[in-house]
Amino acid sequence: MQNIIVVKDLVVVYPDGTRAVDDITFSVEEGEFFGFLGPNGAGKSTTIKALTTLLHKASGRISVAGYDLDQSPREIRRSIGVLSQDTAVDGDLTGKENLRFQGRLEQMGGNALTKRVEELLKLVQLDNVAEKQAGRYSGGMKKRLDLASALIHKPRLLFLDEPTAGLDPQSRTAIWDYLQKLNKEEGVTIFLTTQNMEEADRLCRRISIIDGGKIIAEGSPLELKEALGGETITLSFKGDTDFLLRNKTKAILGTVQAVTNIIDSDESVIVYTKNATQVVVDVVVALGRDNVRPSFLSISSPTLDDVFLQKTGRRIRSEELSRKKIEPSILSVS
Amino acid sequence: MKNRLTILYDTQSFLQRDLIKLARNPTLFGTLLVEPLVLFLVFSQVFQKLSLFLPGSSGGYLGFLTPGIVLISALVCSPQSGISLANDLNSGLLSKMLLTPADRPAILLGRLLTDVLVVTAQSTLTIVVAIALGVRIATGMPGVLLILFTVAYFELALSGIFLAVGMKTRKTETLNALSGFLFLPVIFFSSAMFPVSFLPSWAQAISNYNPVSYASAVIRELVQGGLSVGTLTTAYVAIGIISIATFAATLYQFRKVIS
Repeated sequence: MQNIIVVKDLVVVYPDGTRAVDDITFSVEEGEFFGFLGPNGAGKSTTIKALTTLLHKASGRISVAGYDLDQSPREIRRSIGVLSQDTAVDGDLTGKENLRFQGRLEQMGGNALTKRVEELLKLVQLDNVAEKQAGRYSGGMKKRLDLASALIHKPRLLFLDEPTAGLDPQSRTAIWDYLQKLNKEEGVTIFLTTQNMEEADRLCRRISIIDGGKIIAEGSPLELKEALGGETITLSFKGDTDFLLRNKTKAILGTVQAVTNIIDSDESVIVYTKNATQVVVDVVVALGRDNVRPSFLSISSPTLDDVFLQKTGRRIRSEELSRKKIEPSILSVS
Repeated sequence: MKNRLTILYDTQSFLQRDLIKLARNPTLFGTLLVEPLVLFLVFSQVFQKLSLFLPGSSGGYLGFLTPGIVLISALVCSPQSGISLANDLNSGLLSKMLLTPADRPAILLGRLLTDVLVVTAQSTLTIVVAIALGVRIATGMPGVLLILFTVAYFELALSGIFLAVGMKTRKTETLNALSGFLFLPVIFFSSAMFPVSFLPSWAQAISNYNPVSYASAVIRELVQGGLSVGTLTTAYVAIGIISIATFAATLYQFRKVIS
Protein backbone atom coordinates (compact mmCIF):
# COMPACT_ATOMS: atom_id res chain seq x y z
CA MET A 1 0.00 0.00 0.00
CA GLN A 2 1.21 3.50 -0.88
CA ASN A 3 2.18 5.99 1.82
CA ILE A 4 -0.16 8.98 1.99
CA ILE A 5 1.89 10.76 4.66
CA VAL A 6 5.68 10.68 4.78
CA VAL A 7 7.45 12.68 7.49
CA LYS A 8 11.23 12.68 7.71
CA ASP A 9 13.32 14.32 10.44
CA LEU A 10 10.61 16.88 11.19
CA VAL A 11 11.54 19.65 13.63
CA VAL A 12 9.15 22.44 14.66
CA VAL A 13 10.52 25.19 16.89
CA TYR A 14 8.32 27.77 18.60
CA PRO A 15 9.36 31.45 18.64
CA ASP A 16 10.50 31.06 22.28
CA GLY A 17 12.96 28.36 21.17
CA THR A 18 10.97 25.33 22.39
CA ARG A 19 11.44 22.30 20.12
CA ALA A 20 7.77 21.30 20.11
CA VAL A 21 8.45 18.55 17.57
CA ASP A 22 11.94 17.18 17.86
CA ASP A 23 13.20 15.21 14.89
CA ILE A 24 10.37 12.76 14.20
CA THR A 25 10.10 10.36 11.27
CA PHE A 26 7.04 8.30 10.43
CA SER A 27 4.74 7.37 7.58
CA VAL A 28 1.06 6.53 7.18
CA GLU A 29 -0.30 4.17 4.54
CA GLU A 30 -3.29 5.02 2.36
CA GLY A 31 -6.48 3.70 4.00
CA GLU A 32 -4.87 3.38 7.42
CA PHE A 33 -6.37 4.55 10.72
CA PHE A 34 -3.27 5.98 12.37
CA GLY A 35 -3.02 7.54 15.81
CA PHE A 36 -0.69 9.88 17.65
CA LEU A 37 -1.07 9.18 21.35
CA GLY A 38 0.47 11.37 24.01
CA PRO A 39 -0.18 13.70 26.93
CA ASN A 40 -0.87 17.44 26.73
CA GLY A 41 2.07 19.33 25.29
CA ALA A 42 3.61 16.23 23.72
CA GLY A 43 3.66 17.78 20.25
CA LYS A 44 0.57 16.13 18.74
CA SER A 45 -1.31 19.26 17.69
CA THR A 46 1.90 20.92 16.53
CA THR A 47 2.57 17.94 14.26
CA ILE A 48 -0.95 18.17 12.80
CA LYS A 49 -0.55 21.92 12.25
CA ALA A 50 2.76 21.37 10.46
CA LEU A 51 1.29 18.57 8.29
CA THR A 52 -1.78 20.64 7.38
CA THR A 53 0.26 23.72 6.31
CA LEU A 54 -0.77 25.87 9.29
CA LEU A 55 2.67 25.95 10.95
CA HIS A 56 6.13 26.42 9.49
CA LYS A 57 8.62 23.66 10.17
CA ALA A 58 12.19 24.43 11.16
CA SER A 59 13.56 21.49 9.19
CA GLY A 60 12.69 18.09 7.80
CA ARG A 61 10.55 16.90 4.91
CA ILE A 62 6.81 16.44 4.73
CA SER A 63 4.84 14.83 1.94
CA VAL A 64 1.05 14.65 2.20
CA ALA A 65 -1.26 13.03 -0.36
CA GLY A 66 1.68 12.79 -2.75
CA TYR A 67 2.52 16.51 -2.57
CA ASP A 68 5.62 18.07 -1.08
CA LEU A 69 4.56 20.54 1.59
CA ASP A 70 7.14 23.16 0.62
CA GLN A 71 6.19 23.12 -3.04
CA SER A 72 2.45 22.44 -3.11
CA PRO A 73 0.72 23.55 0.11
CA ARG A 74 -2.45 24.49 -1.76
CA GLU A 75 -2.75 21.03 -3.35
CA ILE A 76 -2.32 19.52 0.10
CA ARG A 77 -5.11 21.70 1.49
CA ARG A 78 -7.31 20.57 -1.39
CA SER A 79 -6.73 16.89 -0.54
CA ILE A 80 -7.24 16.95 3.21
CA GLY A 81 -9.99 17.49 5.76
CA VAL A 82 -9.12 18.78 9.20
CA LEU A 83 -11.05 18.65 12.44
CA SER A 84 -9.34 20.89 14.95
CA GLN A 85 -9.23 20.31 18.67
CA ASP A 86 -11.41 23.37 19.37
CA THR A 87 -14.76 23.10 17.65
CA ALA A 88 -15.08 25.85 15.06
CA VAL A 89 -18.59 26.40 13.74
CA ASP A 90 -20.23 29.74 12.99
CA GLY A 91 -22.96 30.14 15.58
CA ASP A 92 -24.82 32.78 13.53
CA LEU A 93 -25.18 30.44 10.55
CA THR A 94 -27.50 27.43 10.48
CA GLY A 95 -26.03 23.94 10.28
CA LYS A 96 -26.82 23.84 6.58
CA GLU A 97 -25.31 27.29 5.94
CA ASN A 98 -22.13 26.31 7.79
CA LEU A 99 -21.70 23.32 5.48
CA ARG A 100 -22.55 25.31 2.34
CA PHE A 101 -20.01 27.98 3.28
CA GLN A 102 -17.32 25.36 3.93
CA GLY A 103 -18.18 23.65 0.64
CA ARG A 104 -17.81 26.91 -1.29
CA LEU A 105 -14.37 27.47 0.28
CA GLU A 106 -13.50 23.99 -1.00
CA GLN A 107 -14.47 25.33 -4.46
CA MET A 108 -17.71 23.32 -4.61
CA GLY A 109 -21.03 24.68 -5.81
CA GLY A 110 -24.34 23.99 -7.53
CA ASN A 111 -26.23 20.73 -7.17
CA ALA A 112 -23.16 18.76 -6.15
CA LEU A 113 -22.78 20.92 -3.05
CA THR A 114 -26.50 20.86 -2.22
CA LYS A 115 -26.51 17.05 -2.48
CA ARG A 116 -23.36 16.66 -0.41
CA VAL A 117 -24.70 18.96 2.33
CA GLU A 118 -27.91 16.90 2.60
CA GLU A 119 -25.90 13.67 2.63
CA LEU A 120 -23.60 14.85 5.43
CA LEU A 121 -26.39 16.29 7.56
CA LYS A 122 -27.98 12.83 7.48
CA LEU A 123 -24.68 11.09 8.21
CA VAL A 124 -24.06 13.14 11.35
CA GLN A 125 -27.77 13.04 12.25
CA LEU A 126 -28.29 16.79 12.14
CA ASP A 127 -30.78 16.81 9.26
CA ASN A 128 -33.67 17.55 11.64
CA VAL A 129 -31.93 20.68 13.02
CA ALA A 130 -30.27 21.76 9.76
CA GLU A 131 -32.18 25.05 9.62
CA LYS A 132 -31.38 26.01 13.22
CA GLN A 133 -28.49 28.37 14.01
CA ALA A 134 -25.45 26.35 15.08
CA GLY A 135 -25.01 28.58 18.14
CA ARG A 136 -28.01 26.78 19.63
CA TYR A 137 -26.51 23.30 19.15
CA SER A 138 -25.10 21.27 22.04
CA GLY A 139 -21.34 20.64 22.24
CA GLY A 140 -21.72 17.19 20.70
CA MET A 141 -23.88 18.51 17.85
CA LYS A 142 -21.36 21.26 17.10
CA LYS A 143 -18.57 18.70 16.99
CA ARG A 144 -20.58 16.56 14.57
CA LEU A 145 -21.24 19.60 12.38
CA ASP A 146 -17.53 20.44 12.47
CA LEU A 147 -16.73 16.87 11.43
CA ALA A 148 -19.22 17.11 8.57
CA SER A 149 -17.48 20.37 7.47
CA ALA A 150 -14.17 18.56 7.34
CA LEU A 151 -15.74 15.92 5.08
CA ILE A 152 -17.60 18.23 2.71
CA HIS A 153 -15.18 17.80 -0.22
CA LYS A 154 -14.73 14.04 0.28
CA PRO A 155 -11.07 14.28 1.33
CA ARG A 156 -8.82 11.25 0.89
CA LEU A 157 -7.13 12.06 4.16
CA LEU A 158 -8.69 13.29 7.38
CA PHE A 159 -6.73 14.88 10.24
CA LEU A 160 -8.49 14.78 13.60
CA ASP A 161 -6.97 16.64 16.54
CA GLU A 162 -8.43 15.14 19.73
CA PRO A 163 -11.85 14.80 18.11
CA THR A 164 -13.73 13.70 21.22
CA ALA A 165 -12.02 15.82 23.89
CA GLY A 166 -14.62 17.26 26.25
CA LEU A 167 -17.53 15.30 24.80
CA ASP A 168 -20.00 13.24 26.80
CA PRO A 169 -19.71 9.42 26.40
CA GLN A 170 -22.73 9.23 24.08
CA SER A 171 -21.40 11.88 21.66
CA ARG A 172 -17.95 10.29 21.83
CA THR A 173 -19.31 6.89 20.83
CA ALA A 174 -21.30 8.48 17.99
CA ILE A 175 -18.16 10.19 16.65
CA TRP A 176 -16.19 6.93 16.94
CA ASP A 177 -18.86 5.12 14.94
CA TYR A 178 -18.76 7.74 12.14
CA LEU A 179 -14.99 7.58 11.99
CA GLN A 180 -14.90 3.78 11.79
CA LYS A 181 -17.53 3.87 9.07
CA LEU A 182 -15.57 6.47 7.10
CA ASN A 183 -12.38 4.49 7.33
CA LYS A 184 -13.84 1.07 6.61
CA GLU A 185 -16.58 1.85 4.12
CA GLU A 186 -15.20 4.87 2.29
CA GLY A 187 -11.50 4.12 2.61
CA VAL A 188 -10.65 7.54 4.06
CA THR A 189 -7.21 7.57 5.65
CA ILE A 190 -7.44 8.95 9.18
CA PHE A 191 -4.67 10.57 11.19
CA LEU A 192 -5.90 11.07 14.72
CA THR A 193 -4.29 12.58 17.80
CA THR A 194 -5.57 11.73 21.23
CA GLN A 195 -4.65 11.42 24.86
CA ASN A 196 -7.49 8.96 25.36
CA MET A 197 -6.07 5.44 25.47
CA GLU A 198 -9.44 3.82 24.85
CA GLU A 199 -9.89 5.93 21.73
CA ALA A 200 -6.47 5.00 20.35
CA ASP A 201 -6.95 1.34 21.27
CA ARG A 202 -10.41 1.08 19.79
CA LEU A 203 -9.93 3.01 16.56
CA CYS A 204 -6.32 2.93 15.45
CA ARG A 205 -4.70 0.12 13.49
CA ARG A 206 -1.29 1.58 14.23
CA ILE A 207 -0.13 4.24 16.67
CA SER A 208 2.91 6.30 17.53
CA ILE A 209 3.30 7.32 21.13
CA ILE A 210 4.76 10.82 21.40
CA ASP A 211 6.22 12.60 24.40
CA GLY A 212 8.31 15.74 24.63
CA GLY A 213 8.20 16.14 20.85
CA LYS A 214 9.72 12.70 20.23
CA ILE A 215 8.20 9.42 19.12
CA ILE A 216 8.91 6.92 21.89
CA ALA A 217 7.03 3.85 20.62
CA GLU A 218 5.36 2.73 17.43
CA GLY A 219 3.26 -0.27 16.41
CA SER A 220 -0.24 -1.68 16.56
CA PRO A 221 -1.94 -1.26 19.96
CA LEU A 222 -1.83 -5.04 20.41
CA GLU A 223 1.89 -5.32 19.60
CA LEU A 224 2.75 -2.51 21.98
CA LYS A 225 0.75 -4.03 24.83
CA GLU A 226 2.05 -7.54 24.23
CA ALA A 227 5.61 -6.25 24.34
CA LEU A 228 5.03 -5.38 28.00
CA GLY A 229 4.97 -9.06 28.87
CA GLY A 230 1.44 -10.07 29.77
CA GLU A 231 -0.93 -8.74 32.41
CA THR A 232 -0.53 -6.26 35.23
CA ILE A 233 -1.15 -6.31 38.98
CA THR A 234 -1.44 -2.80 40.40
CA LEU A 235 -0.89 -2.18 44.11
CA SER A 236 -1.79 1.10 45.80
CA PHE A 237 -1.08 2.17 49.37
CA LYS A 238 -3.30 4.53 51.34
CA GLY A 239 -1.38 6.99 53.47
CA ASP A 240 1.91 5.05 53.80
CA THR A 241 3.38 5.83 50.43
CA ASP A 242 6.83 6.63 51.71
CA PHE A 243 9.95 5.70 49.89
CA LEU A 244 10.96 2.88 52.30
CA LEU A 245 7.61 1.08 52.10
CA ARG A 246 7.61 1.22 48.34
CA ASN A 247 11.19 -0.01 48.15
CA LYS A 248 10.36 -2.81 50.57
CA THR A 249 7.34 -3.74 48.45
CA LYS A 250 9.43 -3.80 45.30
CA ALA A 251 12.07 -5.94 47.01
CA ILE A 252 9.42 -8.46 48.11
CA LEU A 253 7.81 -8.49 44.66
CA GLY A 254 11.22 -9.14 43.14
CA THR A 255 11.33 -12.46 44.94
CA VAL A 256 7.99 -13.64 43.49
CA GLN A 257 8.47 -16.05 40.62
CA ALA A 258 6.95 -15.26 37.21
CA VAL A 259 7.09 -11.49 37.77
CA THR A 260 8.62 -10.08 34.59
CA ASN A 261 8.81 -6.38 35.45
CA ILE A 262 8.02 -3.96 38.28
CA ILE A 263 7.32 -0.25 37.75
CA ASP A 264 6.96 2.26 40.55
CA SER A 265 4.67 5.01 39.26
CA ASP A 266 3.51 8.08 41.14
CA GLU A 267 0.32 6.46 42.36
CA SER A 268 1.07 2.75 42.54
CA VAL A 269 3.46 -0.14 42.11
CA ILE A 270 2.77 -2.12 38.96
CA VAL A 271 3.77 -5.76 38.51
CA TYR A 272 3.95 -7.30 35.04
CA THR A 273 3.47 -11.03 34.69
CA LYS A 274 2.28 -13.62 32.17
CA ASN A 275 -0.60 -14.89 34.30
CA ALA A 276 -1.78 -12.33 36.80
CA THR A 277 -4.73 -14.28 38.23
CA GLN A 278 -2.39 -17.03 39.46
CA VAL A 279 0.56 -14.84 40.42
CA VAL A 280 -1.63 -12.45 42.45
CA VAL A 281 -1.95 -15.11 45.19
CA ASP A 282 1.86 -15.40 45.46
CA VAL A 283 2.15 -11.61 45.53
CA VAL A 284 -0.39 -11.20 48.33
CA VAL A 285 1.13 -14.05 50.35
CA ALA A 286 4.66 -12.65 49.96
CA LEU A 287 3.57 -9.15 50.97
CA GLY A 288 1.45 -10.46 53.88
CA ARG A 289 4.41 -12.39 55.21
CA ASP A 290 6.22 -9.08 55.74
CA ASN A 291 3.04 -7.36 56.89
CA VAL A 292 2.85 -5.16 53.79
CA ARG A 293 -0.83 -4.59 53.13
CA PRO A 294 -1.86 -2.71 50.02
CA SER A 295 -5.03 -0.67 50.34
CA PHE A 296 -5.99 -1.34 46.78
CA LEU A 297 -5.19 -4.10 44.33
CA SER A 298 -6.29 -4.61 40.77
CA ILE A 299 -5.59 -6.96 37.90
CA SER A 300 -5.85 -5.89 34.31
CA SER A 301 -4.66 -6.49 30.82
CA PRO A 302 -2.08 -3.85 29.97
CA THR A 303 -3.35 -0.65 28.41
CA LEU A 304 -1.59 1.80 26.14
CA ASP A 305 -1.13 3.89 29.27
CA ASP A 306 1.05 1.07 30.63
CA VAL A 307 3.09 1.27 27.45
CA PHE A 308 3.51 5.01 28.02
CA LEU A 309 4.32 4.41 31.69
CA GLN A 310 6.99 1.87 30.84
CA LYS A 311 8.61 4.22 28.33
CA THR A 312 8.44 7.42 30.38
CA GLY A 313 7.79 6.48 34.02
CA ARG A 314 4.64 8.66 33.90
CA ARG A 315 1.01 8.05 33.10
CA ILE A 316 -0.84 9.94 30.35
CA ARG A 317 -3.95 10.43 32.46
CA SER A 318 -4.40 8.37 35.55
CA GLU A 319 -8.15 9.05 35.69
CA GLU A 320 -8.61 7.20 32.44
CA LEU A 321 -7.46 3.90 33.78
CA SER A 322 -10.23 1.39 33.48
CA ARG A 323 -9.29 -1.57 35.51
CA LYS A 324 -10.96 -4.49 37.14
CA LYS A 325 -10.79 -3.56 40.82
CA ILE A 326 -10.38 -6.20 43.49
CA GLU A 327 -10.90 -5.11 47.07
CA PRO A 328 -7.97 -6.19 49.28
CA SER A 329 -10.29 -7.53 51.97
CA ILE A 330 -11.33 -10.33 49.61
CA LEU A 331 -7.73 -11.35 49.06
CA SER A 332 -6.24 -10.47 52.42
CA VAL A 333 -3.94 -13.10 53.85
CA SER A 334 -3.99 -13.58 57.58
CA MET B 1 -11.72 26.53 -11.27
CA LYS B 2 -9.24 28.95 -12.81
CA ASN B 3 -7.22 31.01 -10.34
CA ARG B 4 -8.44 34.38 -11.57
CA LEU B 5 -12.02 33.28 -10.95
CA THR B 6 -11.30 31.66 -7.61
CA ILE B 7 -10.74 34.98 -5.87
CA LEU B 8 -14.10 36.29 -7.13
CA TYR B 9 -15.89 33.10 -6.09
CA ASP B 10 -14.23 33.10 -2.67
CA THR B 11 -14.87 36.82 -2.11
CA GLN B 12 -18.53 36.18 -2.89
CA SER B 13 -18.55 33.27 -0.37
CA PHE B 14 -17.13 35.47 2.40
CA LEU B 15 -19.46 38.34 1.48
CA GLN B 16 -22.50 36.02 1.58
CA ARG B 17 -21.49 34.70 4.97
CA ASP B 18 -20.97 38.18 6.41
CA LEU B 19 -24.30 39.42 5.08
CA ILE B 20 -26.11 36.42 6.60
CA LYS B 21 -24.37 37.12 9.91
CA LEU B 22 -25.41 40.76 9.72
CA ALA B 23 -29.01 39.77 8.99
CA ARG B 24 -28.93 37.41 12.00
CA ASN B 25 -27.82 40.31 14.23
CA PRO B 26 -30.61 42.85 13.71
CA THR B 27 -29.57 44.83 16.79
CA LEU B 28 -26.09 45.41 15.35
CA PHE B 29 -27.37 46.16 11.86
CA GLY B 30 -30.12 48.43 13.20
CA THR B 31 -27.68 50.32 15.43
CA LEU B 32 -25.23 50.80 12.58
CA LEU B 33 -28.02 52.07 10.35
CA VAL B 34 -29.74 54.32 12.86
CA GLU B 35 -26.76 55.81 14.74
CA PRO B 36 -25.90 58.42 12.05
CA LEU B 37 -29.58 59.39 11.82
CA VAL B 38 -29.82 59.88 15.58
CA LEU B 39 -26.71 62.08 15.48
CA PHE B 40 -28.24 63.94 12.54
CA LEU B 41 -31.33 64.63 14.66
CA VAL B 42 -29.34 65.61 17.76
CA PHE B 43 -26.92 67.98 16.00
CA SER B 44 -29.49 69.53 13.69
CA GLN B 45 -31.75 70.35 16.66
CA VAL B 46 -29.15 71.40 19.24
CA PHE B 47 -27.22 73.61 16.81
CA GLN B 48 -30.08 74.73 14.54
CA LYS B 49 -29.34 78.39 15.28
CA LEU B 50 -25.99 77.99 13.51
CA SER B 51 -28.00 78.47 10.30
CA LEU B 52 -27.87 82.19 11.10
CA PHE B 53 -24.09 82.09 10.65
CA LEU B 54 -24.23 80.06 7.42
CA PRO B 55 -26.09 82.30 5.00
CA GLY B 56 -24.68 80.66 1.87
CA SER B 57 -25.47 77.08 2.86
CA SER B 58 -28.30 75.30 1.04
CA GLY B 59 -30.65 73.93 3.69
CA GLY B 60 -28.96 76.05 6.39
CA TYR B 61 -27.11 74.10 9.09
CA LEU B 62 -28.84 70.88 7.93
CA GLY B 63 -27.17 71.23 4.54
CA PHE B 64 -23.84 71.97 6.20
CA LEU B 65 -24.23 69.03 8.59
CA THR B 66 -25.17 66.41 5.97
CA PRO B 67 -21.56 65.72 4.81
CA GLY B 68 -20.43 65.42 8.44
CA ILE B 69 -23.15 62.87 9.23
CA VAL B 70 -22.36 60.89 6.07
CA LEU B 71 -18.73 60.71 7.21
CA ILE B 72 -19.84 59.64 10.68
CA SER B 73 -21.33 56.56 8.94
CA ALA B 74 -17.81 55.67 7.80
CA LEU B 75 -16.44 56.15 11.31
CA VAL B 76 -19.22 54.06 12.88
CA CYS B 77 -18.76 51.24 10.38
CA SER B 78 -14.96 51.15 10.19
CA PRO B 79 -14.25 48.93 13.27
CA GLN B 80 -16.59 46.18 12.04
CA SER B 81 -14.07 44.37 9.80
CA GLY B 82 -11.47 44.33 12.57
CA ILE B 83 -14.01 43.07 15.11
CA SER B 84 -15.21 40.36 12.75
CA LEU B 85 -11.68 39.17 11.98
CA ALA B 86 -10.69 39.18 15.68
CA ASN B 87 -13.77 37.05 16.41
CA ASP B 88 -12.86 34.61 13.63
CA LEU B 89 -9.31 34.40 14.95
CA ASN B 90 -10.46 33.67 18.48
CA SER B 91 -13.16 31.16 17.52
CA GLY B 92 -10.82 29.10 15.34
CA LEU B 93 -12.91 29.85 12.24
CA LEU B 94 -10.04 31.70 10.58
CA SER B 95 -7.76 28.66 10.96
CA LYS B 96 -10.52 26.56 9.43
CA MET B 97 -10.73 28.96 6.47
CA LEU B 98 -6.96 28.90 6.05
CA LEU B 99 -7.09 25.10 5.83
CA THR B 100 -9.15 25.29 2.64
CA PRO B 101 -7.81 26.07 -0.84
CA ALA B 102 -9.77 29.37 -0.78
CA ASP B 103 -7.87 32.48 -1.83
CA ARG B 104 -6.61 34.07 1.35
CA PRO B 105 -6.94 37.74 0.32
CA ALA B 106 -10.65 36.96 -0.31
CA ILE B 107 -11.09 36.69 3.47
CA LEU B 108 -10.26 40.42 3.75
CA LEU B 109 -11.99 41.43 0.52
CA GLY B 110 -15.28 39.75 1.42
CA ARG B 111 -15.33 41.43 4.80
CA LEU B 112 -14.43 44.87 3.42
CA LEU B 113 -17.12 44.60 0.75
CA THR B 114 -19.66 43.95 3.51
CA ASP B 115 -18.59 47.20 5.17
CA VAL B 116 -18.86 49.06 1.88
CA LEU B 117 -22.44 47.82 1.49
CA VAL B 118 -23.33 48.80 5.06
CA VAL B 119 -21.75 52.26 4.81
CA THR B 120 -23.50 52.81 1.48
CA ALA B 121 -26.84 51.88 3.05
CA GLN B 122 -26.16 54.20 6.00
CA SER B 123 -25.14 57.11 3.78
CA THR B 124 -28.06 56.61 1.39
CA LEU B 125 -30.44 56.70 4.34
CA THR B 126 -28.84 59.91 5.66
CA ILE B 127 -29.04 61.56 2.25
CA VAL B 128 -32.69 60.50 1.80
CA VAL B 129 -33.56 61.93 5.24
CA ALA B 130 -31.63 65.14 4.47
CA ILE B 131 -33.48 65.58 1.18
CA ALA B 132 -36.80 64.92 2.96
CA LEU B 133 -35.89 67.68 5.43
CA GLY B 134 -35.29 70.16 2.63
CA VAL B 135 -31.59 69.81 1.77
CA ARG B 136 -30.99 69.99 -1.97
CA ILE B 137 -28.08 68.04 -3.44
CA ALA B 138 -26.91 70.59 -5.98
CA THR B 139 -24.98 68.09 -8.12
CA GLY B 140 -27.96 65.73 -8.47
CA MET B 141 -27.74 61.96 -8.84
CA PRO B 142 -24.12 61.92 -10.15
CA GLY B 143 -23.19 63.96 -7.07
CA VAL B 144 -24.99 61.50 -4.78
CA LEU B 145 -23.11 58.59 -6.38
CA LEU B 146 -19.79 60.41 -5.95
CA ILE B 147 -20.68 61.11 -2.30
CA LEU B 148 -21.35 57.41 -1.75
CA PHE B 149 -18.09 56.48 -3.48
CA THR B 150 -16.12 59.01 -1.41
CA VAL B 151 -17.54 57.83 1.89
CA ALA B 152 -16.92 54.16 0.98
CA TYR B 153 -13.33 55.00 0.00
CA PHE B 154 -12.86 56.84 3.29
CA GLU B 155 -14.40 53.97 5.25
CA LEU B 156 -12.01 51.47 3.65
CA ALA B 157 -9.02 53.62 4.61
CA LEU B 158 -10.19 53.69 8.23
CA SER B 159 -11.02 49.94 8.28
CA GLY B 160 -7.33 49.20 7.76
CA ILE B 161 -6.50 50.66 11.19
CA PHE B 162 -8.99 48.40 12.93
CA LEU B 163 -8.08 45.33 10.87
CA ALA B 164 -4.41 45.71 11.78
CA VAL B 165 -5.13 46.34 15.48
CA GLY B 166 -7.75 43.55 15.55
CA MET B 167 -5.29 40.99 14.20
CA LYS B 168 -2.53 42.23 16.49
CA THR B 169 -4.53 42.31 19.75
CA ARG B 170 -7.31 39.81 18.91
CA LYS B 171 -9.50 41.74 21.36
CA THR B 172 -12.79 43.27 20.27
CA GLU B 173 -12.87 45.36 23.47
CA THR B 174 -9.69 47.10 22.37
CA LEU B 175 -11.23 47.90 19.00
CA ASN B 176 -14.38 49.33 20.59
CA ALA B 177 -12.26 51.44 22.96
CA LEU B 178 -10.06 52.63 20.09
CA SER B 179 -13.12 53.54 18.04
CA GLY B 180 -14.59 55.53 20.95
CA PHE B 181 -11.23 57.21 21.57
CA LEU B 182 -10.84 58.34 17.96
CA PHE B 183 -14.45 59.27 17.22
CA LEU B 184 -14.94 62.64 18.96
CA PRO B 185 -11.51 64.27 18.30
CA VAL B 186 -11.51 63.14 14.68
CA ILE B 187 -15.00 64.54 14.08
CA PHE B 188 -14.80 67.75 16.10
CA PHE B 189 -11.26 68.76 15.11
CA SER B 190 -12.38 68.91 11.49
CA SER B 191 -14.76 70.82 9.27
CA ALA B 192 -17.35 68.00 9.40
CA MET B 193 -19.79 69.47 11.93
CA PHE B 194 -18.94 73.18 12.14
CA PRO B 195 -17.12 75.69 9.96
CA VAL B 196 -13.40 75.61 10.77
CA SER B 197 -13.55 79.31 11.63
CA PHE B 198 -15.61 78.36 14.72
CA LEU B 199 -12.65 76.43 16.14
CA PRO B 200 -9.80 77.97 18.19
CA SER B 201 -6.65 78.50 16.17
CA TRP B 202 -4.80 75.47 17.60
CA ALA B 203 -7.76 73.22 16.70
CA GLN B 204 -7.91 74.81 13.26
CA ALA B 205 -4.31 73.71 12.77
CA ILE B 206 -5.27 70.11 13.59
CA SER B 207 -8.29 70.35 11.34
CA ASN B 208 -6.08 71.37 8.42
CA TYR B 209 -4.30 68.01 8.66
CA ASN B 210 -7.39 65.96 9.52
CA PRO B 211 -8.45 63.72 6.60
CA VAL B 212 -12.09 64.09 7.73
CA SER B 213 -11.81 67.78 6.75
CA TYR B 214 -10.63 66.84 3.25
CA ALA B 215 -13.39 64.26 2.79
CA SER B 216 -16.07 66.59 4.13
CA ALA B 217 -14.86 69.38 1.80
CA VAL B 218 -15.50 67.11 -1.20
CA ILE B 219 -18.92 66.01 0.03
CA ARG B 220 -19.90 69.55 1.03
CA GLU B 221 -19.01 70.83 -2.42
CA LEU B 222 -21.08 68.02 -3.93
CA VAL B 223 -24.05 68.98 -1.71
CA GLN B 224 -23.72 72.74 -2.13
CA GLY B 225 -22.48 72.68 -5.74
CA GLY B 226 -19.22 73.71 -7.34
CA LEU B 227 -16.87 70.77 -6.76
CA SER B 228 -13.36 71.74 -7.75
CA VAL B 229 -10.84 69.28 -9.15
CA GLY B 230 -8.34 70.56 -6.59
CA THR B 231 -10.56 69.70 -3.62
CA LEU B 232 -11.29 66.25 -5.05
CA THR B 233 -7.65 65.48 -5.86
CA THR B 234 -6.36 66.68 -2.49
CA ALA B 235 -8.96 64.63 -0.61
CA TYR B 236 -8.45 61.45 -2.66
CA VAL B 237 -4.66 61.68 -2.35
CA ALA B 238 -4.95 62.23 1.42
CA ILE B 239 -7.31 59.27 1.82
CA GLY B 240 -5.05 57.25 -0.52
CA ILE B 241 -2.03 57.92 1.71
CA ILE B 242 -4.00 56.77 4.78
CA SER B 243 -5.16 53.69 2.89
CA ILE B 244 -1.61 52.77 1.92
CA ALA B 245 -0.43 53.17 5.53
CA THR B 246 -3.32 51.28 7.13
CA PHE B 247 -3.38 48.48 4.56
CA ALA B 248 0.37 48.04 4.75
CA ALA B 249 -0.14 47.46 8.49
CA THR B 250 -3.12 45.18 7.77
CA LEU B 251 -1.24 43.06 5.23
CA TYR B 252 1.77 42.84 7.55
CA GLN B 253 -0.45 41.53 10.36
CA PHE B 254 -2.39 39.26 7.98
CA ARG B 255 0.82 37.67 6.70
CA LYS B 256 1.86 37.05 10.29
CA VAL B 257 -1.52 35.47 11.07
CA ILE B 258 -1.61 33.19 8.04
CA SER B 259 1.97 32.05 8.46
